[in-house]
Amino acid sequence: MSVERVLAGLDVQYAIDMHYRAEVRLWQTGQYREWLNNMVAEDIHYWMPIYEQRFLRDRRPDPTPDDAAIYNDDYGELDQRVQRLYTGTVWMEDPPSKIRYFVSNIEAFDTGNGEFDVYSNVLVYRNRRQLEMTVHTLGREDKLRRVDDGFKVFRRKLLLDARVTQDKNLYFFC
Amino acid sequence: MTGNPSLVDTVESTQSREIFWDKDVYNLELERIFGRSWLFLGHESLLPKPGDFITTYMAEDKVILSHQPDGSFRAFINSCTHRGNQICHADSGNAKAFVCNYHGWVYGQDGSLVDVPLESRCYHGQLDKARLGAKHVRVETYKGFIFGCGDADAPSLEEYLGEFCWYLDTIWEGAGGGLELLGPPMKSILACNWKVPTENFVGDGYHVGWTHAGALHGIGGELAGLAGNRAEMPFEDLGLQFTTRHGHGFGVIDNAAPAIHVKRDGWAKYLADTRGEVLRKFGPERERLYVGHWNCSIFPSCSFLYGTNTFKVWHPRGPHEIEVWTYTMVPRDADRETKSIIQREASRSFGTAGTLESDDGENMSSATFVNRGNITRDGRMDSSMGVGFEGPHPVYPGIVGSSFIGETSHRGFYRFWKELLDAPNWDAVKANDSVWDSVFLNRDYWTAKLDAAE
Ligand code: FES
Ligand SMILES: [Fe+2]
Repeated sequence: MSVERVLAGLDVQYAIDMHYRAEVRLWQTGQYREWLNNMVAEDIHYWMPIYEQRFLRDRRPDPTPDDAAIYNDDYGELDQRVQRLYTGTVWMEDPPSKIRYFVSNIEAFDTGNGEFDVYSNVLVYRNRRQLEMTVHTLGREDKLRRVDDGFKVFRRKLLLDARVTQDKNLYFFC
Repeated sequence: MTGNPSLVDTVESTQSREIFWDKDVYNLELERIFGRSWLFLGHESLLPKPGDFITTYMAEDKVILSHQPDGSFRAFINSCTHRGNQICHADSGNAKAFVCNYHGWVYGQDGSLVDVPLESRCYHGQLDKARLGAKHVRVETYKGFIFGCGDADAPSLEEYLGEFCWYLDTIWEGAGGGLELLGPPMKSILACNWKVPTENFVGDGYHVGWTHAGALHGIGGELAGLAGNRAEMPFEDLGLQFTTRHGHGFGVIDNAAPAIHVKRDGWAKYLADTRGEVLRKFGPERERLYVGHWNCSIFPSCSFLYGTNTFKVWHPRGPHEIEVWTYTMVPRDADRETKSIIQREASRSFGTAGTLESDDGENMSSATFVNRGNITRDGRMDSSMGVGFEGPHPVYPGIVGSSFIGETSHRGFYRFWKELLDAPNWDAVKANDSVWDSVFLNRDYWTAKLDAAE
């Protein structure tokens, strides 16, 4: 983390911002298949580790992909999650719930070879049934790769800002 | 609500909807169910070294479970005996002592009060530290699983598990290595009564094909045929259901242990390699269970799926909310990669973002909250599936139901829930030890069925 970072140029910052907006639009309109096909690389590692509440003096290392995680998916596993949503038998999404994303603090670093480290904050608002409302905030650490006419994500680390999830589940893409 | 015969009707196999809603029922549960039962605290594998600790709950009580220098485990209430502040705010760690944030009282690994700031000058030598240790609860372990109990008169953990040990040994000991738990747990809040998930895990094979239809389509494997309840399934030949003296119970789907796991080579090989030894040690009836998939609850509020290997604790937070803690069970002597893949698969299906977990939460919440309605609440729920198609079995202890789709273990769970809720103390419960299963009326079900098969 301490290596010197090269901030990506303004044009790239802008392109990545637009990329994230398009990604959010796909999620908010239920176009999960399109998202997976067009924005996710086949070597994706999609990861939401579990962070315990530990004392500052605790020297145990941070979680690795071999440890417990809420998401720890490869492409095929993400594909299964997408597929489930199209079966027509996910009763809790019928009638469908609402989801809204707010992505901010986007910061892209050029790591060479058409790849970028991108940090962002995400606020997710879900509204279900009559009165169910939940809000989650996450830090997001992406590795994006330039493809023909845009970007694909090949690492996504999601840092959930809650030890105890105040929601029925975290089955949403982020 | 004490003694209200309408809460659970063991003749009609119904329960009042108040059991999911009423505050008085809940308060009585805290005192008589959670206050008297052995509650899951942890597993030795979660705190392997002396000084290791984890913080957890016993119902709504916060407790510290601590590994002692002599290798034993102690648990004490996570509240300072001075002015009551919470002693420890970390999930886990290793500590020589626990220091209260408020005025700095220091507790040892065993919960005793070992140091008090300014003691000699400000307490003038009048403070009896020996009497001010953190409040202890009983701690006992079974095959590495650690339980705590707040009732000095409760039976031992082994007696409390009772004949259920016969079943647990099949997997908690297995071929010899037994199981361990991998943490840290996922934690989430679910707005439901604690008994809804407990009864779901103790014996609800019925919901699998319908609630989880979407996920089962995607996963494929042995259980895909259940999806949508459409298949012509020979339900009487696919598994069994069990309930025991103290409400512990489970359902088993034959030959389906790793069914929910997509990447399963290591786990399937482990089972194949070890089933012979299980057969030798425990006999064919338990070898059958060893390679089956279990949905299980240990009374009152701890559940697991063996095969899928998710392990859950439903910590109650009032009558209408729980905190769900999810660990993964793995064979202690499996190789690292196999353990890691089991953990990934278990989390992907039954973790906080699990493909099947996400189906269940909705039902559990709505089955609780519809009872807000006064007319609704003045009604009953039915758990009569398979009444009479169950009974004592020549080999399997407890009461055995004919199929994994049935409600034998629901009935057994609520039978004991009511018994413990009504009982003035554990002596009154023990007095029923020889007659507890008389509510299961068909005493000859299995002898007749097994004779006919011969
Ligand atoms: S409350 Fe803990 S030291 Fe005073
Ligand atoms: Fe379920």
